[in-house]
Amino acid sequence: MRTRNQIGRRPIIAAGLGLGAAIGLGRYARAATPTEVRVGYFVETKPTMIAKSLDWFADAVKAKIIWREMSSGAEINTGIAAGGLDFGLAIGSSPVAAGIAQGLGYELIGMVDNIGPAEEMTVRTAANITKPSDFIGKKIATPFGSTSHFRLMGFLALNHLSQSQVTVLDLSAEQIVAAWKRGDIDAAYVWSPAKAEILADGGNVYETYKELDAAGYVIADLIVVSKSFARRYPDAVTGFLSAYGKALDLYVSDPDKAAAIVGKAAGVSTAVAKANLAEYDFVSLKDQLSAEWLGPPGQPGKFAEVLHGAAEFLVQQKSIRSAPDLAAFGKAINTTYLAKALG
Amino acid sequence: MLSVLLALGAWQAIVVAGFVPSALVPPPTAVWSAFVDILHNGYRDTTLAEDLGATLGRALAGFGLGTLFGVPFGLWMGIDRRAAAALGWIVQFMRPLPPLSFLVLLILWLGLGEASKIALLTMTAFPIAVSASQAAVRGVSVQWIAAARSLGATPRQVFCHVVLPASLPMIFTGLSIALAATFSTVVAAELLAADDGLGWMVLSASKFLRNDIIMVGIVLLGLTGMALSRLLMFLDGQVVHWRGRA
Amino acid sequence: MKSWRLWHFTAASATLLFALWAAISAFGLVNSLFLPGPGLFVSSFADLLLNGYKGYSLPEHVGISLLRVALGFGTGAVAGTLLGLGMGMAPVFDAFAAPFIEFLRPLPQLAYLVLLIVWFGIGETSKVVLLFLTALPVAAIAARDGVRNVPRERIQVARALGANPVQILLHVVFPSALPEIFIGARLAVGIVYATLIAAEIIAGSNGIGWLIFDAGRFLRSDYVFVGVLLIGLMGLGLDLALRTLERWIVHWAGR
Repeated sequence: MRTRNQIGRRPIIAAGLGLGAAIGLGRYARAATPTEVRVGYFVETKPTMIAKSLDWFADAVKAKIIWREMSSGAEINTGIAAGGLDFGLAIGSSPVAAGIAQGLGYELIGMVDNIGPAEEMTVRTAANITKPSDFIGKKIATPFGSTSHFRLMGFLALNHLSQSQVTVLDLSAEQIVAAWKRGDIDAAYVWSPAKAEILADGGNVYETYKELDAAGYVIADLIVVSKSFARRYPDAVTGFLSAYGKALDLYVSDPDKAAAIVGKAAGVSTAVAKANLAEYDFVSLKDQLSAEWLGPPGQPGKFAEVLHGAAEFLVQQKSIRSAPDLAAFGKAINTTYLAKALG
Repeated sequence: MLSVLLALGAWQAIVVAGFVPSALVPPPTAVWSAFVDILHNGYRDTTLAEDLGATLGRALAGFGLGTLFGVPFGLWMGIDRRAAAALGWIVQFMRPLPPLSFLVLLILWLGLGEASKIALLTMTAFPIAVSASQAAVRGVSVQWIAAARSLGATPRQVFCHVVLPASLPMIFTGLSIALAATFSTVVAAELLAADDGLGWMVLSASKFLRNDIIMVGIVLLGLTGMALSRLLMFLDGQVVHWRGRA
Repeated sequence: MKSWRLWHFTAASATLLFALWAAISAFGLVNSLFLPGPGLFVSSFADLLLNGYKGYSLPEHVGISLLRVALGFGTGAVAGTLLGLGMGMAPVFDAFAAPFIEFLRPLPQLAYLVLLIVWFGIGETSKVVLLFLTALPVAAIAARDGVRNVPRERIQVARALGANPVQILLHVVFPSALPEIFIGARLAVGIVYATLIAAEIIAGSNGIGWLIFDAGRFLRSDYVFVGVLLIGLMGLGLDLALRTLERWIVHWAGR
């Protein structure tokens, strides 16, 4: 409880250093338009990259955007806790569950995608793994702390495989490819391009996502905003979401054009971008407001339970100290901006 | 030079002969063409010069600050045993700490910008500079100090004309170690929230499995580190021209 | 002031630092995510001692790390010293090997981590090799400089007395260079420790470096602080051991 009470307070050191910026921002506070917006993002093949590279985000928030490339959701959490980021774009649901549980001062305002089969178990064809018990004695790699890690642990729990029967290794996505090529690992739970790379190199998909989604191990990529920013600049938050909505519309209406833009922004070919985009289920803004996902304003949807479950799992893993009750996760979901963005 | 050429030849031969998959370890020829490409087109919105400059700037700023604070601090601890007793343990404790262990804490305290990166590098250089300066002062011959004193030198004169010149060679040796340690931490500094720098380039290329670019980065990082060490050695020769004659 | 002994200063500064820490946390000046207070620190430490961290007990984490450091540092220091002695004795060999040593010394370990996985896999080998490659150039440069600083007269005298090159190396050069070799070894220990996290990031699931890295990912600063304290203490301990060994051996070498 103590931790949560202290969250609103800015650490003195950060406050001292941020003083200059705060004075600068203060002058514009009345206009309710920020001078600059700091966004933590990933370079990836998603419609978010359309809105980024065509400056739709900047136009919608009416400010300069400082894009900060991140390498994990945990890093976005650190950035927001340090007061160095306003938005986290397409951050995974596991880190968001951890962040809410730890009382980081941000709220969940929208989704990018339901990850579904985009992150999935890849097994070495030669290892002949066809049922859960085949994993006994095998080595599975995944980036710890990620949504893939969460899914993998869920898979092991659902199938009563203990960590003494299966070796779970902490490797980053690129390390997984290196270890796979050497033949050091039998399976990996990861996303593309690493997933595509090992699939093409003697791997095949071992489908787990349907079973896991049904059991509540849903994973998604989300949009979060720091509470202090949202309070000061609510219009910018709405604008940010509508810019993403516009990008999603483009992807739905013209996937080829979208893939070309995304590919260029992420540094991959249009064909690769198109294939990657097709792996994800990009939930429309309207569907995000349904009870199935985030729910309408004031009535948190099913996703609050997903976050709560993920947080409790992280407590079991000793990754976070404690998790609050379900209501706290419902409170951390704020879809008023989303509703406004839909007009 | 000959050895370097031989090594390059061996590297190419090993990859071409197929001992290691060329997808994972690109041959020198592939690395060269990646280098030429980055040189002309830059890497992801940054030019090679910008990346090199960012990394050099961070390394030099961290090393400079660590030296600026560390050397006087170490000299003081070398002269004043009470200061050494009060503060020495903190420095000795800091020395073996992995920079990655306080990276997250520095970001929490100082934010995502340059401050946390430079602080990380400063904290790497600082304890080494302190230890070397302190040890250098302790190593100054007691007879010299006594002789200077008996000739009527004030404490200030003893420090400026005896202690400092006599300890400079060892301080420079310490600084060359501090520089190498700082530079080898520069990738860690660019691990989180960076959008330029050679370390960032290597880390970002590894996310996209661009092993040719990784190798370009490694070679450039090694050469840059080497050049910095050489520069310091040159300065050492200019400043401490009395090295080895005392 | 006269009655103050040196250790009083140590005790005073330690007390002051602790009081500052306790005060900051007691007044809630800093969020406990950023700086865990002494109470939380002690309870988290006790928790780690009693329940371990993610499948390994705390002594296991410490022991595994010590073993990796000992192996990486041990092999790196021995190989580096031999290499450095050779470089110091034979200028031709120095010209051949120096570019690689100078290239390797400031090279950031994180940059070539993936390559080590490619070459040595995800097991213990790549972790130990990383530490080996970190210790090697430091030890080599120290040994080379040690040999270069051996007074030429001593070697000439030994030669005049009819000693062969092996005898000169064993009985003149090596003993004279020992103090510098030890300085290099102590430096190498510090730098090897500082590289421990980078090594244990590779497919980690144990070791104190991995513990710090894993806990840092979730902003568990309490565990990070415990790990940092342990690494600091381990570093101090190994440094002390080396200094004792140095006093003993350098004495034996007749200096």
